[in-house]
Amino acid sequence: MTDERMTRKQFAAAILVSLLSPLLRLLPQASVSLAGRGAYLSALPAIVPLLVLALILESFRRHMRPGEGMGGLLLRWLGPVAGRLVLAAFAGWFLFYGGFILRSGAERLVSTIYPSSGQDLFVAVTIALCLLVAMGTLTAAARTAVLMRGGLIGALVVVLVFSIPNMDPKELVPVGWSDTVPILLGALPMASVGAVAGCFSFLSGYVRPPDDRRWLLGSMTLLLVLGAVICASVVCVFGPKLTATLTYPFFIMIRSISLLNLVPRIEAVVIAAWVGADFLLCTMLLRCAHEAIRTIFRLPPPDDRRRGALRSGRFLLWGEAAVIFGCSLLFDMPPWQMRLWSNRYIPLCSDIVIFGGFSLLWLVTLPRRKKERRGGL
Amino acid sequence: MRRLLLLLYVSLPLLFLSGCGASLAADRHDAERLLLIQTLGLDSGEGLYRMSVSSGLGPEDKPALVMSTGSHSIEGAIADLQNLSPENQLFYAHVQYILLGESAAKEAMNDIIRWVDRSPTLRMDTNMLIVKGTAAEAVVGSSEASTDITQRLESLDRQARSTGWTIQTLRDVATALSQGDGALCMAVQTVPAENAVFTEDMQSDAVVPAGYAVLGPEGLVGFLTPEQSLGAALLTRDTTGLLITVAGNTMELLDGSARIEGQFSADGAPEGVTVSCTLRTGVLETSRERELTPDQLDAALSETVAGWVADALRQAQDAKCDFLGLKNAVLRSAGARERWGGGWNELFSTLPVTISVDGRVDRSYDLEEW
Repeated sequence: MTDERMTRKQFAAAILVSLLSPLLRLLPQASVSLAGRGAYLSALPAIVPLLVLALILESFRRHMRPGEGMGGLLLRWLGPVAGRLVLAAFAGWFLFYGGFILRSGAERLVSTIYPSSGQDLFVAVTIALCLLVAMGTLTAAARTAVLMRGGLIGALVVVLVFSIPNMDPKELVPVGWSDTVPILLGALPMASVGAVAGCFSFLSGYVRPPDDRRWLLGSMTLLLVLGAVICASVVCVFGPKLTATLTYPFFIMIRSISLLNLVPRIEAVVIAAWVGADFLLCTMLLRCAHEAIRTIFRLPPPDDRRRGALRSGRFLLWGEAAVIFGCSLLFDMPPWQMRLWSNRYIPLCSDIVIFGGFSLLWLVTLPRRKKERRGGL
Repeated sequence: MRRLLLLLYVSLPLLFLSGCGASLAADRHDAERLLLIQTLGLDSGEGLYRMSVSSGLGPEDKPALVMSTGSHSIEGAIADLQNLSPENQLFYAHVQYILLGESAAKEAMNDIIRWVDRSPTLRMDTNMLIVKGTAAEAVVGSSEASTDITQRLESLDRQARSTGWTIQTLRDVATALSQGDGALCMAVQTVPAENAVFTEDMQSDAVVPAGYAVLGPEGLVGFLTPEQSLGAALLTRDTTGLLITVAGNTMELLDGSARIEGQFSADGAPEGVTVSCTLRTGVLETSRERELTPDQLDAALSETVAGWVADALRQAQDAKCDFLGLKNAVLRSAGARERWGGGWNELFSTLPVTISVDGRVDRSYDLEEW
């Protein structure tokens, strides 16, 4: 396992780039429809649930043995039956969510750039590439994330800067005390996006010491800042009500950008670049699911020296990728239904699994943690 | 061998990229056959949409391709247009102007906004104009071998910008309408060739500005006169460059702004709205020299503009359509939302409005020294 361990910096980059996918799927529309023009302020209350989740995950991480991820810890603490059931539930969610990410990414790409094409082709190509990367080392995927982070955030900055002429800051005011409840509600989608990072705790066994948490904190802060800036900029361009009704307000905003009147219609490049975030999140979810399933069957971790080999439990990755592809077929639905799933059901399920699941596990394992702290185990 | 297989595996997706196979990529565009549509006109009526398009003048003054057809849906009209020109692939990603006929603006405004939102090619920030009459007349009737509607609108656009007017985009209109208020959109009308040009080789109609069209949440409400449009422009944005004619003197607006505030009684109940405009103009042309002193000219400017502003406000209140954005302006001030409660819409049409205009004419020394 030591062969493919990531640095904290690379791990944080992988998380940030992966979360850029749900960030632009949910925001700004979901937050603005709940919080109105004050959606940009929703990033502040979103810190609270994310901080609680971070503390819960940190309390788990402190008890992990070297090279052990969340899967190993849960199996050790919950026992062979309950542990396996919990891991199977997490693995099931990762595969299902991966399928959704694949389909929603394809839907966004197809509906905005290739309207006459089918989505299945894009889904098939993406899962094939995800499988290829997941069969290799996580370090390679994380190094790719470091490169993609610069590209995607650079693209965001360019888009936001060139959108300034279209913005009317008056759209951001007035925000008064009567907006407190809507702003708190608007924090839910932002927290939901940040909570996806909880899935990555299954990969924490692949992260090299020392445990420097600055990169992770920095990534999450940057994510919330980006969420706030995206909400503010889109509201400045379209106003809160139109933003809440548009299909992809951020990408529609990009359509209007022209780089110094020389290069119009850059949205295809930006939307295509966002496929990278979908691809990385799907790859990481595939590996998270693999970690959970590998732990259930007590298989050794993948060894990067034998990429094509089907030993070390690697054959499972093919099956897991097939399940993700199968799940993506479940989301072959009309755009309005996809939007409903994307904005309501999937974030709700994600919150139940991540916030609910880890909180419950934290409570259930409380006696065990106390015992370990006393040095009993 | 393993590396070769890996290379094949990685290369496999390349087969599916657009350009590698027409049968697999339905969105493939042959650049040589692409015909960029630059102006798009829409009319509606009796369950039909009429779409008129112009491709703009081609290279070496190749005449524009101008077509018009009707269908039961906008997408149906687009398909029909494509069938009318099978040798070209009509491409709508670079449309510069969308013209809406009166009927389309009245009946289908919201449908058109939703259609553009969903369209993968059209942009929300495309310039939009309302045609007094039909868009088909403007698109088809104003085109000939040497010019077309796009060229006419580009000229009109340049002229409008140089004189302080702004052509609204579909986004501007959609944003204002989404707030539940009204919106202003520049209107144009066609002028028959015989009334507009005096050279025999020009046969097509001219397209000229016609003030603002007023759009309510359900569609077109009416049109403002040029004077009301000036009043509306002063109220809705800080503006410069507008040409104002007062007592025979034509002036350029150098600086203009409006402050809109709510008025409240001693117990905090809303009583009305105060509109205060500040103008600074410069004389460009004078035809009745020395008739007015600078002070008189200032007073005449203030009085005339106050009349235009009052006219525009009256039009908004009569139509029960807040296209001047009074609500947003008033409710943005601290605590105003709580004081007005939710009663703005009921109060709006009968709301007392106090207007004051402080007009000042700069560079008027020449009037004294003539």
